[in-house]
Amino acid sequence: MGIIIAVISGKGGVGKTTATANLGLGIALNGKKCVMVDFDIGQRNLDMILGLENRVVYDMVQVMDEEASVKQALIKSKVSENLFFLAASQTKDKSVLDSKKVEKLVTELKKDFDFVILDAPAGIESGYEHTIEFADAAIVVVNPEVSSIRDADRAIGILDSKSNKIKNGEEVKKYLIINRIIADMVQSGEMLKSEDILEILDITLLGKVPEDKGVIDASNQGKPVILDKKSIAGQAYGRISARLCGQTVDMKDIEISDSSLFKKIAGMFK
Amino acid sequence: MFGFGFLKKKRSASIAKDRLTIAIMSDRDRTNSYPFMDEMKAEIIEVVKKYVGVKNVEIKKEVDGEFEALSIDVELENKA
Repeated sequence: MGIIIAVISGKGGVGKTTATANLGLGIALNGKKCVMVDFDIGQRNLDMILGLENRVVYDMVQVMDEEASVKQALIKSKVSENLFFLAASQTKDKSVLDSKKVEKLVTELKKDFDFVILDAPAGIESGYEHTIEFADAAIVVVNPEVSSIRDADRAIGILDSKSNKIKNGEEVKKYLIINRIIADMVQSGEMLKSEDILEILDITLLGKVPEDKGVIDASNQGKPVILDKKSIAGQAYGRISARLCGQTVDMKDIEISDSSLFKKIAGMFK
Repeated sequence: MFGFGFLKKKRSASIAKDRLTIAIMSDRDRTNSYPFMDEMKAEIIEVVKKYVGVKNVEIKKEVDGEFEALSIDVELENKA
């Protein structure tokens, strides 16, 4: 029996889908069976990031409506045989999701996979609520920026009141990924520090991902950045994936840039 | 100019922290409850009591996108 993790953010454009793709692949590369489901109805994105857009035949709504079986709709990753993907429906009607159908789908996936990762739509409307409804845990993705953090808090609030586990008196674990950190800006006081973000949101840190041009380069090619060993964001996703798979990986302090480290050392000799 | 620019930069992350702390606190209050909740609860109990025994009243504010609702659960006293 696997675990269902919803990847949420509230605000759009913070790197939620990129995080989903990289963590899914990272988990699979750690030897665990993983399936990712794109819950962003009407806006199919995850397939592009994964480079699987030409392989989509059936989408998750067709599976829920029993027009296709899970087996028919699952798309296998080109990179790892442990990784599968279920595409979002491009229907405009967001109300196609229904609690019973969602529950049936995720419960079925949970039987066959160690990790079921649901990429939530941006916003806090019904599509979002359906994504978190049956989640065992949530990964919250934020940027170190005021609107992202505020919207994330709203999304967390809804998670804390509407998820099935909470309704049953259980706990939904929440973990934070701070994405697009620019070390120099943190050092000069122009960007929020991760400790401040954690204090404001009252949440456990899962990992920090630095700003990295390689992310766009990777999505251009449909190859998640975790495959790029030189990419600092890719390395960060590697560490986060290992943590999700139960390994203890030290929290690398990416908020100290090499240049500021050099300044500090130089300062000691003044 | 450069000196002042540096000072200003130093402050913007802490300005962000202060603004966020206040905005999020008020967001949370708004989503969880109204300040008059307790008073309203007491009044509801009084009204229902006129007709039937009340054990407890639970009021929750629910937010669903743009739609907001109050859900009021009235728990009646056990049947004798």
